[in-house]
Amino acid sequence: MSSIRPPPPRRFLTALRRLAGALCVGACAAARAMPDAGDVERLTQARHDAMGASRVADWRRLIAEAGGLSAGERLERVNTFLNRQLRFDDDKVIWRQPDYWATPIETLGLGAGDCEDFAIAKYVSLRLLGIPAAQLRLIYVRARIGGPRSGHSQAHMVVGYFPAPGAEPLLLDNLIGEIRPASRRPDLFPVFSFNGEGLWVGGEVAADPSARLSRWRDVLDRMQREGLQFNP
Amino acid sequence: MTLTKQLWIAITLVTTVALGGSLAVSLENARHYLEQELRVKNIDNAGALALSLSQLDKDPVTVELLIAAQFDTGHYRRIRLVDPEGSILVERSRPATPAEVPAWFVDLVPIATQPGLAQVQDGWQQYGTLTVDSHDRYAYASLWAGAGRLLAWLFGLALACGAIGTLALHRITRPLKAMVGQARDIGERRFTTIAEPATAEFRSVVRAMNTLAEHIHKLLDEEAQRLEALRRQTEHDELTGLSNRAQFLRQLDSALARDDDAAGGSLVLVRVAGLDALNRRLGRKAVDEALARLAAQLAASAETRADANCGRLNASDFALLAAGAGEAAALADALRGRLQEALGAEAAESLRLAACAYLPGETPGMVLARADAVLAAAELGFGRTVDAGPTDALLPYASADAWRAGIGAALDADHLELAAFPVLREDGSLLHEEAPVRLLLEGRWRTAAQFLPWAARLDLLPAIDARVIRAALQQLEQHRSRQLAINLSAAALRDAGFRATLHEALRHRPGLARRLWIEVQEAAALRHQVEFRSLCLALRPLGCRIGLDHGGKEFSRFAGLHELGLDYLKIDAAFVRGIDTSAGNQSFVRSLCSLTHALGLLAIAEGVCSEAERRCLVGLGVDGITGPAARRMAKSPLPLN
Repeated sequence: MSSIRPPPPRRFLTALRRLAGALCVGACAAARAMPDAGDVERLTQARHDAMGASRVADWRRLIAEAGGLSAGERLERVNTFLNRQLRFDDDKVIWRQPDYWATPIETLGLGAGDCEDFAIAKYVSLRLLGIPAAQLRLIYVRARIGGPRSGHSQAHMVVGYFPAPGAEPLLLDNLIGEIRPASRRPDLFPVFSFNGEGLWVGGEVAADPSARLSRWRDVLDRMQREGLQFNP
Repeated sequence: MTLTKQLWIAITLVTTVALGGSLAVSLENARHYLEQELRVKNIDNAGALALSLSQLDKDPVTVELLIAAQFDTGHYRRIRLVDPEGSILVERSRPATPAEVPAWFVDLVPIATQPGLAQVQDGWQQYGTLTVDSHDRYAYASLWAGAGRLLAWLFGLALACGAIGTLALHRITRPLKAMVGQARDIGERRFTTIAEPATAEFRSVVRAMNTLAEHIHKLLDEEAQRLEALRRQTEHDELTGLSNRAQFLRQLDSALARDDDAAGGSLVLVRVAGLDALNRRLGRKAVDEALARLAAQLAASAETRADANCGRLNASDFALLAAGAGEAAALADALRGRLQEALGAEAAESLRLAACAYLPGETPGMVLARADAVLAAAELGFGRTVDAGPTDALLPYASADAWRAGIGAALDADHLELAAFPVLREDGSLLHEEAPVRLLLEGRWRTAAQFLPWAARLDLLPAIDARVIRAALQQLEQHRSRQLAINLSAAALRDAGFRATLHEALRHRPGLARRLWIEVQEAAALRHQVEFRSLCLALRPLGCRIGLDHGGKEFSRFAGLHELGLDYLKIDAAFVRGIDTSAGNQSFVRSLCSLTHALGLLAIAEGVCSEAERRCLVGLGVDGITGPAARRMAKSPLPLN
């Protein structure tokens, strides 16, 4: 599984921690990429509630089980699970902040998120399921709301999956639950896309204080602290 | 290794580690900071450029222009756009040469920058991945300049540390130097005291050593006072405090036996004529007072010159013995006025004065008889009150000029040898040999007693003493087991140039210096204490032994005797002659021995004639003897007891 980060030779503590993790959880690659289930649930329980903990546990099970499926099935499972489990709401309501990028565990723990939180949770889930970063994009889009002739639009974010480098992407969105190719989403206009490539060289992100100044790197950093170990 | 050196090494090590450590930490911090800065710049610029490109028409020329514009106006090493298949669409790069920074510095402090990556989109399609690498040249330049400044600062700090360290060390070790000096002094039996330093540990050590030195000082003072009292009460006239007849005769005997520059001299007899009549006329009390004044005046005159003794021979007769003083007439004239004044106007008329010169080797009886004859003549009113003494027919020269030329010629021709008289320990083994000088004058070897008084008058003693030192060192070099004692004259002692020459001569021959005993007459040492002290301080470290000869009379008057570190005292024959029958001299010598032993000095008795004297002296604690008895013993050693 390409999502397992090889132990960085210089980070002694991390190496120790991961060695301990490997001893506890055993050989299951997906499980190793995940933090210890009990830990995450306890963390979630402490932060949120039992519902949140069970959502996180379900998600963990999904990641553990869906690893062997085809790419299309993995996309489908992740998209459906997250769209069902999460309720859309504004950051101002959920986090009492104008804009907050939550980690998947925070989002699942609360059971709610805005479009970035949906997109981040889907992106991370797919990465954990072994979809290469090169095929995934977090895409800023302008979304037209209220039908094809509506003049009203708003900023939105979706996850794009590129089956091939030059191909049209499949979009995982929370406005429309179904995965559709970009050409079937005339309501969305792409503006900019990004992924985690180039950020995670040598595993130095967590040690770099500048990481906290970028929203994207900050949320990746927090995920690592929560125990989600993967190469974005 | 000295303490100062060790402290210096410690300071240098600590400073080097501290400053070197801070240099390394600072450099590492700066390097890390620069790495982060470059990384953030790479990521941000890649993001911004990718955003611009994503909004643009994907006309290749426009894309290339935009990248070129960013590259040319910014600080980049490379900007590259790669399409999703992995082929390069646009690339701009510049060679990575950190120009003004040496290669070893780059190797030592590598700045590992990571490129910034961002995705460029064409509508929904992927257009390519943008890689942005900022130039690290300015980072290296800044690190290099920073390291230089830091090094300069640290160097300055190290210098400041060195200066502070020097001051601190100087302050800390200053009392230590004095302490080491004091400890060395005590090791050499010089019991000095020093000021207590401020450092608590040093202070307790110095206090202990000072206490020891003061204790010894006090002990010696008491002993010296006791000795002086003893000397006065035993062999002295009760009324005047002068030596009594027996003691004075012993002094005369000792003076006649001398063979140094004080050999030969003058004897002045003083008589208060008609003492009974005076007693009746003025009253006994007044006469006693007048006699005491006269005696005090005589004593004062004796005091002013080295090797002078005075005594009361009987109720009306006094005597002044001035060893080494050839001018008997001048001495008598100088005394006359002062003594008349001391007697007072009414008794001045009764003063009779006679002076006569004596030669070494005469007997006390001969000298006294001659003096008596002169005094009788004076009483009879013949007016001639001075006897120039016998002329020694054996003396080679008659005039001072002839003496000067003769001694000079003998020295030039190296007609100089050292005699050898044994000084024995109490068990009869050889302690060292006394080596008085002899000169070949007019074809015969002359003893010191014959020419030294003339040499003293002609100021030739330092020259002779210098040759004696040379001859003694030659002897010591030829005979590896011999130990020689040589006598330094007062004139040589006073001569700073001579002292320097002596020090220089001995400094280069430490093996010989250890077998050389250097002695100075007690009277000379006492009258030139400053010079004597500097001689002791200079010669002691070279290993030679220093002592006093013809000593005892004024030994207790040495101020700071305990600070000189002397090795031996030769007790004057005046205290030794007939000691087996003189209870007073016995207790004096016993006290003298205990005092010298307390100071760590050997006590050696001079002029020991008989076996009875020798046994008595050994019983009193004397460590060694010299004189006729010693010479006899050396030839045919006597069994002990």
